[in-house]
Amino acid sequence: MSEPTAPRRSVSLDVYAVVLALALALLVRFNLIPAVKW
Amino acid sequence: MATAANTARPVGLAEPLSLGRRILALIPGLLLLTAVGYAGKFIEQSIALYTKSHHITFPNIEYVLWAIVIGLLIANTLGVPRVFQAGVATYEFWLKAGIVLLGSRFLLGDIWRLGGISLLLVAVALTLSLTFMHVLGRSFKLKPKLTSLLAVGSSICGVSAIIAAKPAIDADDEDASYAIAAILALGALSLFTFPLIGHSLHLSDKAYGLWAGLAVDNTAEATAAGALYSDAAGKVAVLAKTTRNALIGFIVLGYAIYWASRGQAQAVGNKAEFLWRKFPKFVLGFLLISLLATVGFFTKGQLTSIANLSRWAFLLTFAGVGLRTNFRELGKQGWRPFAVGAIGEIFIAILTLGLVYGADRFLHL
Repeated sequence: MSEPTAPRRSVSLDVYAVVLALALALLVRFNLIPAVKW
Repeated sequence: MATAANTARPVGLAEPLSLGRRILALIPGLLLLTAVGYAGKFIEQSIALYTKSHHITFPNIEYVLWAIVIGLLIANTLGVPRVFQAGVATYEFWLKAGIVLLGSRFLLGDIWRLGGISLLLVAVALTLSLTFMHVLGRSFKLKPKLTSLLAVGSSICGVSAIIAAKPAIDADDEDASYAIAAILALGALSLFTFPLIGHSLHLSDKAYGLWAGLAVDNTAEATAAGALYSDAAGKVAVLAKTTRNALIGFIVLGYAIYWASRGQAQAVGNKAEFLWRKFPKFVLGFLLISLLATVGFFTKGQLTSIANLSRWAFLLTFAGVGLRTNFRELGKQGWRPFAVGAIGEIFIAILTLGLVYGADRFLHL
């Protein structure tokens, strides 16, 4: 009945994903990485 | 969505690994994701180049489908060896990072409008689909908590909703794995059926994207089902699905209160804290990037770069979708949860298609 740790883990994953995405966006914004092609 | 963090630790290792070793353990699977995803992209480009140079008319088959098919072939023939599994499980992480980056392609006004329409449709679909799933579960004599998990999974957010709801309603591991298997199997089927139905009904990109985002359960599959139709449809599918994801806490809270009132789950103390804990935080990242794009923080060229980063992240995700789908394993879970899930999914797909048609007509998507 207790709340296990799984929800907390998923929060961490979300936060890491947001941090990575924001870091990449800032690197692009300040031209610290070359233009990304597809 | 299953969390990569849940599965990132190599199976069978009881001792927690140090951070460095955990990162090292991800590398083989990450390389496999990249290879499969890039192979999909390469095949798409090669076919396009060949047909163009030989003046052959051939429909463009998106890299999304190739990546998923290659992944499925590997997973269901050779299997994915244990050394790759931790890295492959990170596809959920790339999905979330990709969605946050995709926020750059939306102005807040678009999110407000399309998100608002999605929210309205989600509310209607949710009420009807939850009721339907419970009637169906009772008819098939499924355990009530398994029915609750299937209802949450099929109406809100696939596997992550089931994972969030399981402890809240104190469901069995076995019930959760049944529900997850049913949702994953049906998600895989939707990848092949939704684009075909969309094309046969001549749905617009927006209408199709909205439908895929509202009807396909798992975020990875909803994103893929949208992208299989068109780039624009994929964008709308992600927005609609993200709106659905944002409601996960409310539904799980509702179920937790219900089962606690029957003495079969722990009572929820602080409801606001519960909602925050269940809220998918990547939605906030998506809104933040969209806000930055709306206020002109990025130049046009930079927005293109960020959108391309998002596509690279999705490329890894789609490879992971194929690689983690093992039909033999899914088939072991028994037919009844699958039947309830399948009938429920068909009901939800038809219902949401009707809602999208109505919204397209009256709200002018």
